[in-house]
Parts: sequence; C-alpha cells; structure tokens
Amino acid sequence: MEMMNELLEKYFRGETSLHEEKELKKYFSGGNVASGHEIYRALFEEFDLELKDKAQVPFKKVLQKQQKPKRIWFQTFAYTGIAATLFLLLWIQLPNATESFAVIHGNRIDNTEFANRYAGKRFTKVTEMLAKSMKPMASFNKVRKGIDPLQNVSDVRNKMDELKDKLQFNK
Amino acid sequence: MSDVRYSTFLRHYKCMETTQFNQQILNSSDKLFRLAKSILRNADAAQDAVQDLIVKLWEKRFTLDEVENMQAFTMRSMRNLCLDTIRQQRDEVELPVEYEYKEPNPYHQIERKDLTTRIRIMIDNLPELQRTIIRMRDVEEMEIQEIAYITSLTENAVSVNLSRARQKIREQIINEQKRAEEIVWK
Repeated sequence: MEMMNELLEKYFRGETSLHEEKELKKYFSGGNVASGHEIYRALFEEFDLELKDKAQVPFKKVLQKQQKPKRIWFQTFAYTGIAATLFLLLWIQLPNATESFAVIHGNRIDNTEFANRYAGKRFTKVTEMLAKSMKPMASFNKVRKGIDPLQNVSDVRNKMDELKDKLQFNK
Repeated sequence: MSDVRYSTFLRHYKCMETTQFNQQILNSSDKLFRLAKSILRNADAAQDAVQDLIVKLWEKRFTLDEVENMQAFTMRSMRNLCLDTIRQQRDEVELPVEYEYKEPNPYHQIERKDLTTRIRIMIDNLPELQRTIIRMRDVEEMEIQEIAYITSLTENAVSVNLSRARQKIREQIINEQKRAEEIVWK
C-alpha cells in the first residue's frame, strides 16, 4: 500500500519511468486495489480504453488514388491489346483483293458484260464531247497559218540593215 | 554520370517503396488518429486530418528515407497539421480554443454515463499541449525524449507539462468524489 502511495505521488509529479507506469496500470487493472486508491482506477481504465480507439477509414484507399501511374500503364496495355485484336479481326474479314466487280451509281455490278457495255457507251459519249469541244481549235490553226509569212519580216529587216552598212563603207 | 543525375538516381533508388510506406506509416494510422482526435476533439475532423497527412507523406516519400525516427516524425507532422487546422478555424469563426474546465452540476453528473467518460472530458478540457503530452505518455507510452521532439519542447518542459496535466486531473477527480459524497450524505 505504502509503496503504491509513493509510486502514485511520483506519477502525479511526472517523475515515473515507463516501467513504473506500466506497474501502476497493472495494479489498477487487478483486483487488489486499495480503497484509498479506488478513485484513480477510472483514470487508468480510461487510458486503456483510449488505446482501443481506431481509425475508421481504410487509409489504403487514399494511397490507391496516389498510385495512378501503375494503373495508367495497365490500362494502356489493355487498350493496346484490345485495339490489336480488333484490327486482326477486321483484317481477316476484309474482302478478297482478286475479286472483280464494278460500282455504278453506288451499286455493285457483278455482270462483266453489262459493265463492259456501260463503259463502252460512256467512252463514246466522252469522245463525242471531245470532238465538239475541239472544233474551235480548227479555225485557230487557219489563223496561225496565215500569220506564218509575217515571221520573215525581221529577217528582211536585218538584211536591209546589212546592205545599208555596206553602202556607207563604200562611200 | 553527372553529379545531378547521380544524386537523382540515388534518390529514386533509395525512395520509400509502397510496402515500406505501409509498414512505417499506415501501421501507425491509429496512433495518428488518436493524436489528431485529442487535439481537434472531433473524430471526423481527426479522420480527415490523418488522411491529409498520409497523402502529403506519400507525395514526399522520396525524402522520407532520410528521417531517423519515422514514428516521432509522423506524430510531429500530425500535431503541426492539427494546430494549423485549429488556427484556420480560429480565423474563420472566433471560438475559444482553450477554455477552463467547469465543474459539472451534481444533478447532471448523475446523468453522465460513468467516471471514465468524465475523465475523458477532463482530459479533453486541458490546454492542447497538456492533453497531447498526457495522452502521448499515458496512452501511447512514449518516451519523454520522443514527446519533446514531437512538441518541439525541452525534455524538462515536457515533464513540467505532464506533471501539471496529471495534477489537474487528480484535483478534478478528488473534487468530483467529494461532491458525490456530499450528495449521498444529503
């Protein structure tokens, strides 16, 4: 009893060691607490109770938010894989390149004879149109032929200048 | 390799890994929560404060390897963050942060749950420094040296504050006991 009295006084003066404080806690949690000390029992019980106070929120969630880089890498790999698979599927489903058909006014034509006839008609129409548009060019050629003699005028003029020079020298 | 690149390489090489972070900081989240709750006197605010601190520490994990005593460092950071929160609240709403403990009315006393609850209230009503110190010592069982580092005080100042806190609680317990006896005798 007296030893505990001293220890309690020391405790309230803030002079006890951690080991001594553990002794006190042990004493107050046991069944042999002296009646004079009973009023302090609740104090030490409260310290034990407070130690059971735990954080409620799962703090690992906070960190998961912070670990985005790893997730981005994972997502990038996943999306690349999906894109590659889709590309392969499309590539396999593409029509055969050796297949021949024509498209007329947005319609697929598999009849080769019909396609040839249609193309022939179109070519004839284009030739006719070209012939019509080239008609003005014929008269243009006529004018060009008429202008040709005028191209010799400069030669005549040069010869005249040469003769003139010669005459001046002879003088 | 240039000096700058070498130091950057070393820093990343030495940086705290997730598992190490979990071991050293997340495992002490309950301790941090109790400290925050003691200072802020509100469980929800304490929860938010601990979350904020963990996020901040995670962002600075590259520099945490240089810390010698991780527990003391995180506890000190927690206290500083809580004190900042109190200061902000004080600026926003003018509420007295520290107020004197008033003896409860004897009739109200009977309505109160039990003595341990009343003791918790007594501790909560101590000035911030005293209640932080008494809880760090008597609940978390920390060394005076560690408490001195966390509170930025000398070891002697910690012992003085611890003694004052314990004395105040003792006085209040004795007073309550007397009042309860008076009620019984009346």
